[in-house]
Amino acid sequence: MAEKRLKLKKNTKNNTITYALVLAVFLLIEIMQGTGNISSLLSGLLVPLCMYSILAVSLNLTVGILGELSLGHAGFMCIGAYASSIFSVVTQNTITNVWIRFPIAILIGGLFAAVFGILIGIPILRLKGDYLAIVTLAFGEIIKNVLGSIYVGYDSHGVHMTFESASSLDMEPDGTLLINGPLGISGTPNDSNFIVGIVLLAITLIVVLNFINSRAGRAVMSLRDNRIAAESVGINVTKYKLMAFTISAFFAGIAGVLYSHNLSILAATSKNFGYNMSIMILVFVVLGGIGSIRGSMIAACVLTIIPEKLRELQDYRMLIYAIVLIVMMLLTSSPKMVKFWEAHSPKRFIEDKFRSKKSKAKGVQ
Amino acid sequence: MAVLEAENLGITFGGLKAVDNFNIKIEKGELYGLIGPNGAGKTTVFNLLTGVYRPTEGKATLNGKVITGKKTIDINKAGIARTFQNIRLFSQMSVLDNVKVGLHNKYKYGMMTGIFRLPKYFKTEAAMDEEAMELLKVFELDGEADYLASNLPYGKQRKLEIARALATQPKLLLLDEPAAGMNPNETAELMETIRFVRDKFDMTILLIEHDMKLVSGICEKLTVLNFGQVLCQGKTSDVLNNPQVITAYLGE
Amino acid sequence: MVLISNLINGLSLGSIYAVIALGYTMVYGIAKMLNFAHGDVIMVGSYVVFLLTTKAGLNPYLSLVVAMAACTVLGLLIERFAYRPLRGATPLAVLITAIGVSYLFQNLALLIFGSQVKSFSSIFNFPSIKLAGGQIVITDETIITIVVSIIIMIGLTLFVNKTKPGRAMLAVSEDQDAAKLMGVNVNATIALTFAIGSALAAVAGVLLCSTYPTLSPTTGAMPGIKAFVAAVLGGIGSIPGAMIGGLAIGVIEILSRTYISSQLADAIVFAVLIIVLIVKPTGILGKKYIDKV
Repeated sequence: MAEKRLKLKKNTKNNTITYALVLAVFLLIEIMQGTGNISSLLSGLLVPLCMYSILAVSLNLTVGILGELSLGHAGFMCIGAYASSIFSVVTQNTITNVWIRFPIAILIGGLFAAVFGILIGIPILRLKGDYLAIVTLAFGEIIKNVLGSIYVGYDSHGVHMTFESASSLDMEPDGTLLINGPLGISGTPNDSNFIVGIVLLAITLIVVLNFINSRAGRAVMSLRDNRIAAESVGINVTKYKLMAFTISAFFAGIAGVLYSHNLSILAATSKNFGYNMSIMILVFVVLGGIGSIRGSMIAACVLTIIPEKLRELQDYRMLIYAIVLIVMMLLTSSPKMVKFWEAHSPKRFIEDKFRSKKSKAKGVQ
Repeated sequence: MAVLEAENLGITFGGLKAVDNFNIKIEKGELYGLIGPNGAGKTTVFNLLTGVYRPTEGKATLNGKVITGKKTIDINKAGIARTFQNIRLFSQMSVLDNVKVGLHNKYKYGMMTGIFRLPKYFKTEAAMDEEAMELLKVFELDGEADYLASNLPYGKQRKLEIARALATQPKLLLLDEPAAGMNPNETAELMETIRFVRDKFDMTILLIEHDMKLVSGICEKLTVLNFGQVLCQGKTSDVLNNPQVITAYLGE
Repeated sequence: MVLISNLINGLSLGSIYAVIALGYTMVYGIAKMLNFAHGDVIMVGSYVVFLLTTKAGLNPYLSLVVAMAACTVLGLLIERFAYRPLRGATPLAVLITAIGVSYLFQNLALLIFGSQVKSFSSIFNFPSIKLAGGQIVITDETIITIVVSIIIMIGLTLFVNKTKPGRAMLAVSEDQDAAKLMGVNVNATIALTFAIGSALAAVAGVLLCSTYPTLSPTTGAMPGIKAFVAAVLGGIGSIPGAMIGGLAIGVIEILSRTYISSQLADAIVFAVLIIVLIVKPTGILGKKYIDKV
């Protein structure tokens, strides 16, 4: 029984550190803002930092906990951004209270992304590793390409849609243009701010961490570690894969809401919602430690702040990302290094001591 | 009624009959051995019984209910659990969590209950912990409940796999070479454990083994497979004295 | 008539995809990994030819040979230092490393050559063929591309089936451990696969840049991914499959570019991939793998 309590305590302790860290950063920033000690650079980064952290934490659910590589995370973010922006643009004159409008927008962004997560997940999640990665990449690109070239507007006849041009929408003169092809959506209210961002990050952390430490989370991790064994003890592969993938998509969508409500013009380009963005989120996850939720968050912040602070690094940013991916994998995953760490890790050292003590104690008895 | 009954079970891989005309009848509480030379199709029989492969011929029933054609997870829910020849643990999860995954279908609560930590979450988790620890104690693994499964020594990994299988509340337990890679002491200890499991849980066990000492020591009945076909079956002592079996094992 | 010239363009683009897909399919079949960086080796090969012909004034065909040698070395280096240490690691780790390698080359090229698109002049200089009174023009690049891809496919098929190293490749692709026990040098065989795949990437790069005369650090990325789609469509691990898949993807892309929407052409190609994987994950000519328990 003692071990059981120890275990529960360990999980809770670990999670408490994560929450405390977020709270501490929040208080620190609030104090800095209150006393006017915050640089304009940092204050401009606050919402993006929350957004990247949410993206990294949610992607880690797919990569670290489910053990599948998704290269389309930015696609879900794109869906969340577009869905919520359309809602906010359409309703900003009818729902004037931002405290009602924005939460609905956030929910809409998350739910749209989650629905797409389910729709995409059902057919593709039975594919194995490499195929799954390439298909998620393909989906991400399709979403970006379609949203980046579609024209949508509405008038009294309803909604019009085309891929050609704004004028070929054939709307009445008083019709409203919602998505202007490559120019995207303009006029999204700037509802995002640091407090909303940090609250959303906290919610993401609570949901993801509680999920991991629950019956469903264990089922997901068992699939990651050994699918065949998981099936043999009655774990429903599709159900739990889909569950993790959908939660991951949901929070990517929410990050998209933060993103779109922090800009005046939202357009889907390869820069913000393309493959590069998905890779950047992956870099956060890899640097922070695959499966480590706190690590993802810290890595997201560090890798966002450093290139902004050190402008001369800007040009080398992507190069550094590439090196991070390769070096981290070689250091943590190559069979030789795994053996090395096993032999030299502090944890192992303590366990060995514990073991020898125990056997000694047995000997005395 | 027999716990497990297979009739004319067979599977063909690209023209090759890996298992052909396989019949077996295992009564409740029996410790039954499935032996045969390498490549005889023993593990394939396990894969047929657990739905990893779909048999091309024949049928199998568990307590009278047909299981052939069902999916692996449904067969597990129906009451067959197994271990694997090459150990398949959830290596990056704790020893305790490995068993708790085995308890997945016994103790249930929804995803939202887990995420929002409703009272049912704490109640169910506590019950799961308790039952899992009890199972670990049976295998003397309770001291390592917190370890990563991959950090356990080999012999204990095999035991953990059995504990996890038992957690799914099976009616029939399939053990695939449980003594592989163990030294004589560990094997002797394992024999004790298997017998104990049978008695304590009133379990029916079918095991594949190469170690003749183990087989003759604990199995009441044997089936010998050779080239995918049943060579001989019956009481252990009769089977082991059968000249055909001796030939199959030692050659002419 | 327009349709016919579109089909010809499609076959030409498809032949390029086929050559790239051959590299993918061999590496995937033998090393069981998706070499994401394959598309970027194409880009490196094209830059080598570009620099040698424009800056050093070297004969284009000679520069192609140099580029093939350079890419072979590059492929071997990638295999040795990035992938070989990870043999036996989880597929996830290998895949992430491969993405890292791909990203590394793209961004190194960006730093060295800049993001500016270079205009690449075709290295081939033969007259075009005019048919139907000039209504259909088949360029020399198109003819050469199609011919070269067919020669490569036949050559590779013969190599794999008739030579000793080729059969070693087949053995490694079936079962690495068993191949090792039979005396096959697995590491050398996988390295050879990378060498051949990378040399082919150089050829593909030159064909690609001669047909579509631009060059930038991301030149190889999209064609690389589409060629992977082609390899999957044809059945991963199958040499004729890569050819069929490549041609199909090329034609689909050109036709959707012309008749549906140029912005959505990529999306359509990816949609094909998704449909194939859902309907027949083993592709047209692929074989089924059974999980060993």
